[in-house]
Amino acid sequence: MLVKVLYFGRLKELCGFSEESVELRNGSRIEDLFAHCASSRPELGKFRPSLVAARNREFAAWDTALCSGDEVGFLPPVSGG
Amino acid sequence: MIAPHSQDRIELTHEIIPNAAIAHEVRADEDGAVATFDGCVRNHSHGRSTIYLEYEAYESMALSKMQEIAEHLHGNFAVNRVAIVHRLGRLEIGETSVFIAVSAAHRAAAFDACRYAIDNLKKTVPIWKKEFFADGAVWADGEIPPAPAAAETPASEPASN
Repeated sequence: MLVKVLYFGRLKELCGFSEESVELRNGSRIEDLFAHCASSRPELGKFRPSLVAARNREFAAWDTALCSGDEVGFLPPVSGG
Repeated sequence: MIAPHSQDRIELTHEIIPNAAIAHEVRADEDGAVATFDGCVRNHSHGRSTIYLEYEAYESMALSKMQEIAEHLHGNFAVNRVAIVHRLGRLEIGETSVFIAVSAAHRAAAFDACRYAIDNLKKTVPIWKKEFFADGAVWADGEIPPAPAAAETPASEPASN
């Protein structure tokens, strides 16, 4: 299945782009997606403790199961206002 | 999806926020109070002189979270209209980054709702600020939004009819 991944703030700078499409095995969870994304960018993995995930524009637990077509954002600590 | 209150104004913009116009437009004849919060760009941060800021957002989610805040105000405070407008892009010192206006029949509800809105926005709305100094730039520390610790148990739960 194919999911869309979005990066913001320092993660976007780290990756050098703001979105990518990732092909995952059916039944994958958000944590599997993150591990996949971080496997080619070890720096990304270091941010994991400070990140929250969003699935289809809602905050989501890391063990949330994904569906084809999902949009997943990895969100650094927010600093609006 | 919650139906938005039609007279609320929930917005992200790259333009200068028209604070006075927004404060005026939330006011109706039945209101006795308008509370506003004007968040503006400070010229210093952690002892360093700030030159300018840049804001970016996960726009679709940020609007949805701002809408949720407005709905919470309507459900929990005796307020009439709500405006929450956040600026994105490059902001200069003294410019407004976020403007919130809440109207109500009485001042306590307006103050309380306005305070709730800005406090909650800073914790839950996916917007990020980069601070530019003479000798470099940093992403502001920020707050980790509350997120579910574990996924909800899937379909094996009995359906509620």
